[in-house]
Amino acid sequence: MNKKELYDSFIALTKATQANLEQLQLLQSEISQVIEQNAELEIENEHLRDLLNQSKGSAKEPQLSKSRQNLEKLYEEGFHVCKEWYGKRREDDEACAFCMEVIYREG
Amino acid sequence: MKFSIRRSVFIKELNNVQRAISSKTTIPILTGLKLVASDEGLTLTGSNADISIETVISASDEDNGLAIASTGAIVLPARFFSEIIKRLPEDTFELNVTEGFQTEITSGSAAFNVNGLDANNYPHLPEIDTTDAIKLDGAVFKELISQTVIAVSNQESRPILTGVHFELDADQFLAVATDSHRLSQRKVNLPTGSSTKHNVIIPGKSLIELSRMIGDEYDQVEMRLSENQALFILGETSFYTRLLEGTYPDTSRLIPSEAETTVEFEAPALLASIERASLLSHESRNNVIKLIIKPTEQTVTIFGNSPDVGKVEEDLKPNAVTGSELEISFNPDYMKDALHSFGQSTIKISFTSALRPFTLVPTEDQENFIQLITPVRTF
Repeated sequence: MNKKELYDSFIALTKATQANLEQLQLLQSEISQVIEQNAELEIENEHLRDLLNQSKGSAKEPQLSKSRQNLEKLYEEGFHVCKEWYGKRREDDEACAFCMEVIYREG
Repeated sequence: MKFSIRRSVFIKELNNVQRAISSKTTIPILTGLKLVASDEGLTLTGSNADISIETVISASDEDNGLAIASTGAIVLPARFFSEIIKRLPEDTFELNVTEGFQTEITSGSAAFNVNGLDANNYPHLPEIDTTDAIKLDGAVFKELISQTVIAVSNQESRPILTGVHFELDADQFLAVATDSHRLSQRKVNLPTGSSTKHNVIIPGKSLIELSRMIGDEYDQVEMRLSENQALFILGETSFYTRLLEGTYPDTSRLIPSEAETTVEFEAPALLASIERASLLSHESRNNVIKLIIKPTEQTVTIFGNSPDVGKVEEDLKPNAVTGSELEISFNPDYMKDALHSFGQSTIKISFTSALRPFTLVPTEDQENFIQLITPVRTF
């Protein structure tokens, strides 16, 4: 392999890498869009189901209030919702008695 | 400074003081043991900045064989010094500080020369004003420590939970510890009340050291509290510990007041079953065991499942089962720790729901001791 070939192949490689990078970035933005859309649809779906249940007038057991449900969801996603550590990540998804008290307390 | 003393007496006190001395400390002089000889006796001091222990060997007590020839003070490297003392040949030894901080230790025909440090550079012990002394029964206090300290958190990320919360109001003494996964609370009625209210958080590690010292030897412990230090007096020994700063979270609301399902067990039998079931759960990633309670059939069944290894199922022998049917999962290690603290007694477990924490109390005395465990969601 002479020197010119060596340089040429470097240039070719650089170009190929750049193209790969561009493609990777494109895919990344695509996937984050899809994830975002998925989250939106999930929320939408939930709302619709709530509406559906309401219109059916389904006799479900007494459930947590809307705000408590939100807290419960946050808790299940792995965050503290208690006064002491609100918003901090629950280590290894360990249960927290303070959070449970906040979510399920009576009255 | 020069004295001679019976070796066995000295070693006993040295062992106590050494609990506070750590070889890993940022302040070099704290790796040493401080010795002060006065006309009244010999004072030994050890400290690691968190805990300080000071003890006095009286010169007037003949059994100590303490003879002080001249008074003074010295700091000696604790690790070498204690090894030397323990290996000396005779029943007594003599210690003599010669020039500078050179210290000569002789016993029989053995003679050591150790380099000491200036005792004036040793940090002062915290000062605690001593008006309000709370008298505690040694055995009860030791039990209280062992029952609560199990629930203390070992995560430094939440420093406040690494301590036990002590609340004193008149003759009511309340100790609580929680790592937010489980909680342990013990109440004691004091024979003599305290004139002021106290609310302090004592590091769990300090309490463990303290309870080791209480042993069977001291039937009375005196507690004195200040803003940032606590002092415990056991006979001639003073144990100082730093307090944790901050406000302890309100734990009273964590304990459920009502129960949907209750079960009664002999604590040792249940412990044995839980230990069996946890053999497999330890292998699985989430370390969980499940209880299925059926009051109509008066049965309680325990399940452990670890997909890689296998599963276990055991029908327990409850003394009583009441309330509604329940299926609940929890970490068996918390249950084990809790059950250990009940010893031989009969216990009552009260559940509210599969999502809410449940409590364990001795059936004999349901007011003064309670353990709480949070369940694990398994769906």
